[in-house]
Amino acid sequence: MAVIVGLCIIFVRNLSVENPGKVQLLLESAIGKGLDFFEDIMGKENRKYIPYLITVLIYIGIANIIGLFGFKSPTKDLNVTAALAIMSMCLIEFSGIRKNGFKHWAAHFAKPVPFVAPIMVLEIVIRPLSLCMRLFGNVLGAFVIMELLKAVAPVLIPIPFSFYFDIFDGFLQAYVFVFLTALFMNEEQE
Amino acid sequence: MIQFNVSLLFTIINLIVFYLLLKKFLFKPVMGIMEKREKLIADGLKNASDSQEEAARLKAEYEKALEGAKAESIQIVEKAKKTAAGESERILQEANTEAVGILKDARETIENERKQTMNDLQSEIAGLAMQAARKIVDDTKGNQDIYDQFLKGVGDAHVNEEVK
Repeated sequence: MAVIVGLCIIFVRNLSVENPGKVQLLLESAIGKGLDFFEDIMGKENRKYIPYLITVLIYIGIANIIGLFGFKSPTKDLNVTAALAIMSMCLIEFSGIRKNGFKHWAAHFAKPVPFVAPIMVLEIVIRPLSLCMRLFGNVLGAFVIMELLKAVAPVLIPIPFSFYFDIFDGFLQAYVFVFLTALFMNEEQE
Repeated sequence: MIQFNVSLLFTIINLIVFYLLLKKFLFKPVMGIMEKREKLIADGLKNASDSQEEAARLKAEYEKALEGAKAESIQIVEKAKKTAAGESERILQEANTEAVGILKDARETIENERKQTMNDLQSEIAGLAMQAARKIVDDTKGNQDIYDQFLKGVGDAHVNEEVK
């Protein structure tokens, strides 16, 4: 984390409006892509949530592939994914309350019919639970499979699998996590 | 492995700190720069469209002025032509009248001269006749002399007349 923050400080040290350097262009296009992506999902009025979502994206993405470099993936720990999911839950409900007011938020559980209210209340917990478990399960599963593969064939064979399980799956899960969080926020604001 | 403990709380705190740091060091400057650039581009576009509008307006103005000048020049030429034509007409008329006047004057002068001459001649002739008569009365030298004298007198008068 300290490394990323340090890199950010170095990157943003000399930004200029007129003639951006290559690093700046890369940075801007990356962040611009992120902004566009989340704006498409949530609309312009939710811009203020976007930095958090991109932060989580970076965090999970790096946490997932850090296993490649011999570190222990933080996301392999259920506590971390649970913490992320709880944050997402808070954010989802908070955005809904902030957008439409507490009354509307409380009333939306009884829609379309009051009969479904318990299920709707359950949804508050189910959403982050699914986020948490999906991330945890994917990373743990990938880790277990990679360990087994390494035990069976330690040379060369793990490389293509590593590409899939560590890199592709890692980034995919990071993407899915923030995408679903944004989607849920959008849903909650209706 | 599947159990919650205090590291959950730590993760949340870490995440929040990480978010705040990233927000301060990554998103704020980059987004600020992007916004600034967007503003710059928008300003540039606005300026360009403004100046274009201005140019179009000026062009229309100039065209209008040019058209006005053209019309004015045509009018001036027309006016000048008309003036010149009137002037020439007037001059011609004047010359005509003058010529007619001169001719008339000349005719009158000639007529007067003629009349004068006639009068002169008449009085001369009358004088000569009187002289001749007197001579006939005065002189009694004979017919031949009378004739001679008369003829001489007439001839003198004639010569005088011519000289005059």
